[in-house]
Amino acid sequence: MENTIKVERAILNLTQQDLAEKIGVSRQTINSIEANRYVPSTVLALKMSEIFSKPVNDFFKLGNDD
Amino acid sequence: MNSKKIVDYERSKIERWSQFQLKHQWKVRGVVISLAVILTLIALKFIATDYQWLKFGLKKALLLGLLMVSLSQEKMEDEMIVSLRSKSYTLAFVFAVLYALVQPIVNIVVFKLFSSNHIDAGFSYFQVLSFMLIIQISFFEVLKRYR
Repeated sequence: MENTIKVERAILNLTQQDLAEKIGVSRQTINSIEANRYVPSTVLALKMSEIFSKPVNDFFKLGNDD
Repeated sequence: MNSKKIVDYERSKIERWSQFQLKHQWKVRGVVISLAVILTLIALKFIATDYQWLKFGLKKALLLGLLMVSLSQEKMEDEMIVSLRSKSYTLAFVFAVLYALVQPIVNIVVFKLFSSNHIDAGFSYFQVLSFMLIIQISFFEVLKRYR
């Protein structure tokens, strides 16, 4: 799974900590998601979708291994 | 009560049990209890008195302390922490089974090498449970650090 959360965050001028607080997770979890070390649940992905005002498919993409 | 209701009831009950956790404060208490028990057990090694009953109680207290650490929530408990904890339980279970398989062989090898007074091919429940809990806590901390 690949993602462009870092870009989406930059567009909204949000730090990892800001985004983490908005969706109720730790900063390390956001860092792990951005680094593709952790694939979030559907609930978390939808929470991000609300923050970014975009569909989940716009910032999460299936990788070659998926 | 029909069978569907029974299945739903059982499912929700198991779900509730599987989500049981202690508050974060219990982690500190568990660490304090475990360290205190370990230090007391070490101290008792150097005292030449009969302390079997005390040792028995301390072993139970150590298992309880480690279990408290294992079941305690983190300060920031989120889905990734839940996932890491789940992985650490899996690893601890596998390692505990391997330990149970290997430990008697190690005892026999040690006996053959050093010719102790008696051969002890068994192991206690305390050894396996404390090993499993320590492995779970260690893996969880390592996974958390490298997340």
